[in-house]
Amino acid sequence: MSEPEHGLEAAERELDRALSLLEKRKAPEGLKARLGAVVEAAPPPAPAPAPRVRSRRTALLSLSLAAAVALAGGMGVGWFHAAHDADALVTEAVNDHLRLLYAARPLEVESSDRHQVKPWFEGKLDFAPVVAFAGDDEFALAGGSVAYFMDRKAAAFVFKHRLHVMTLFVFRAEGLPWPHTWNQTLGKKNASYASSRGFGTLLFREGDLGYALVSDADMPTLLRLGTKLVEAH
Amino acid sequence: MVPDGTHEPPNFSAALLAEVDGLYNFASRLTQNGSEAEDLVQDTFARAMAAQAQFRPGSNLKAWLFRILRNAYIDGRRRARHGFELRTRDEDDTVEVHTELLRGDFELERLRRVVAEDIEAALSKLGDEARTVVLLDLEGFSEAEIGEVMGTPPGTVKSRLSRARARLRRLLVEYQR
Repeated sequence: MSEPEHGLEAAERELDRALSLLEKRKAPEGLKARLGAVVEAAPPPAPAPAPRVRSRRTALLSLSLAAAVALAGGMGVGWFHAAHDADALVTEAVNDHLRLLYAARPLEVESSDRHQVKPWFEGKLDFAPVVAFAGDDEFALAGGSVAYFMDRKAAAFVFKHRLHVMTLFVFRAEGLPWPHTWNQTLGKKNASYASSRGFGTLLFREGDLGYALVSDADMPTLLRLGTKLVEAH
Repeated sequence: MVPDGTHEPPNFSAALLAEVDGLYNFASRLTQNGSEAEDLVQDTFARAMAAQAQFRPGSNLKAWLFRILRNAYIDGRRRARHGFELRTRDEDDTVEVHTELLRGDFELERLRRVVAEDIEAALSKLGDEARTVVLLDLEGFSEAEIGEVMGTPPGTVKSRLSRARARLRRLLVEYQR
């Protein structure tokens, strides 16, 4: 072996030693929790996973209350048993957010223009969703979709913040197990924040409508968007 | 975890989660920002779950995930900076003359004094492609697998890795002067 080759090999070995000093960075636990929830909630691979969820929920609407109670366990729908628990709203919001994320077509109307998204819901809901915030540079409106929130239809508005997806569900508020106490304020509006499976949920009411804002973004980010939504009214 | 990084349908979710640490390590060194790295890994998972039906059973899940992450990183950089281009040839092709530096005992002595902070700093100064090929090599991928992740032939990987390592050595020697 020639002298230069020998020297290069020695240098390469020293580089390997130096590279072995690099710390192997582990993923934060919060990230692991969020990803675990995403994987757990994702539907199995199929050509069109979303309609299966939608049709199951549509079928639920057509059942009588008693029939729904009887069938909920067998159909894997756990929300009804928790209907008297305020946490049920949070659980439902996170589940609906995840279903939307992994639907074959998450957005039925894709537009950053509120004046296109909001009118799209006309005729598709039995109420008019009131969302005055049009999106901005920090929270860009991506579009909307019709969703189901527990036993009722909802308007889902999707905002993007960096790589985070933030879903706002708007639905009729009456008859739902709203929290008895509020732990946050959005401007002058009381709200409730709760975290579940790595996702934050912000709940608030405005008149006859209920709002659930869900995302894996951190709490200050959720509160910022929540405040913008409330103050735009 | 599924052995050899290969995919079996019943374990797809578990196999995905088993790669989180490796993906985060790769992402954090590409972005050099913890928050952006978390976003990038989440985006990778979202893309992987959405494309699950396209994954070929029996192929290399780990390489597939790293490729998704790298593509997401490039997409993000292009969105963030108009005109973004991977830094491949600007500094990394100029190393040949400098490798001569390393062939003497004096230069070797300098390399032997390298500490963790030096290699962290040197790695961060590499261009995107050079850093990527070094990180994937460190992750234990073969040249063929690195080619799969980067979309390049194994021969190209070999020459890129050689140039990247040479530049790393040069940077490390300079830190010790």
